[in-house]
Amino acid sequence: MSAVPLTAYLLVAAALFAIGIYAVLAQRSAVMVLMGIELLLNATGLNAVAFWRHTAAHDYSGQIFTILIVTIGAVEMAIGLGLMLLLFRRRRTVQLDAWQALRG
Amino acid sequence: MSTALLQWLAFALFAAIAIAGALGMATTMSMFRSGVFLMASFVGVAGLFVLLLADLLAWLQVMMYVGGMLVMILFMVLFSHDPGGAMMSEMPGLRGPERFFSLGLRAPSHEGGGSDHGGHAMPQMDMSMTTPLRRFAVVLAALAFVALAALLLLRPAWRQLDAMPAADSAHRVGELLMGKYMAAFEGAGLLILLGIFGSVYLARPSAHPGSAARERLQAAAADAPVDVAEAGDPRELQR
Repeated sequence: MSAVPLTAYLLVAAALFAIGIYAVLAQRSAVMVLMGIELLLNATGLNAVAFWRHTAAHDYSGQIFTILIVTIGAVEMAIGLGLMLLLFRRRRTVQLDAWQALRG
Repeated sequence: MSTALLQWLAFALFAAIAIAGALGMATTMSMFRSGVFLMASFVGVAGLFVLLLADLLAWLQVMMYVGGMLVMILFMVLFSHDPGGAMMSEMPGLRGPERFFSLGLRAPSHEGGGSDHGGHAMPQMDMSMTTPLRRFAVVLAALAFVALAALLLLRPAWRQLDAMPAADSAHRVGELLMGKYMAAFEGAGLLILLGIFGSVYLARPSAHPGSAARERLQAAAADAPVDVAEAGDPRELQR
């Protein structure tokens, strides 16, 4: 039924995950790090849906995982935005390496 | 054309959009472009969801990310020092995808002069977009991809079913959410509520020191110049 095998989807998800790792580690700005985290979560969701479709299409639990992952991602983004606003008011910058100390 | 060929074509298209968008997000010098590239990547993944017959999730993906998160990301990008990336794109050392995805960014001073924030406004600031860990991050990301791909290609065979999901999968997902996964659903709701409270509490303006607290801090800074003076910069406190 589905011509594209499971491994192809998983390879795409692996590529997205690797790019997300790069973005989280290498970017200096808090916004970019949050975007990298979103990419990591999205790669995980793609994995869950691909496994659902190809190994357990009769059980919809795989989709539930992805729904919860998207929800967590939204909450994480909102809290990240709140933290960023707070730290921007205190230090006038969004570069992460200006925020190495919690004090002050 | 056969259905299989069409499926492969659609897969190649959406996978290319997803990966190219992610690569552009991670490498371009302009944060605004980064946000738009990330959304392109999410739309590509939504296309893959449609191809996997998870159409409810594809809608969810587009509405949550493109509708909600893009707004948040673009709002956050406006706080950054150089959101358009015009200054960064003047850097000489751009190579590979960084160069490709930053094409066409240009400082306004080159187009008609008279701009007050040219590329050399603050020479003492470290302007680079990336940490010194960047080379290490490239190596680690490449290693992660190679390891994951090797695990995928050398795996033992999974048992794969060729069953088709039901036509109204949204109905089944809703029943599962309200039945078997009720606790997770309610927990996510509680998490969202707490997240909203937390972020509003963090971001509310009165989290600043008020005027009385500010005077106290300044008095303390005058008394003990070593310790408190660095914690509370007076320029910052006047704000």
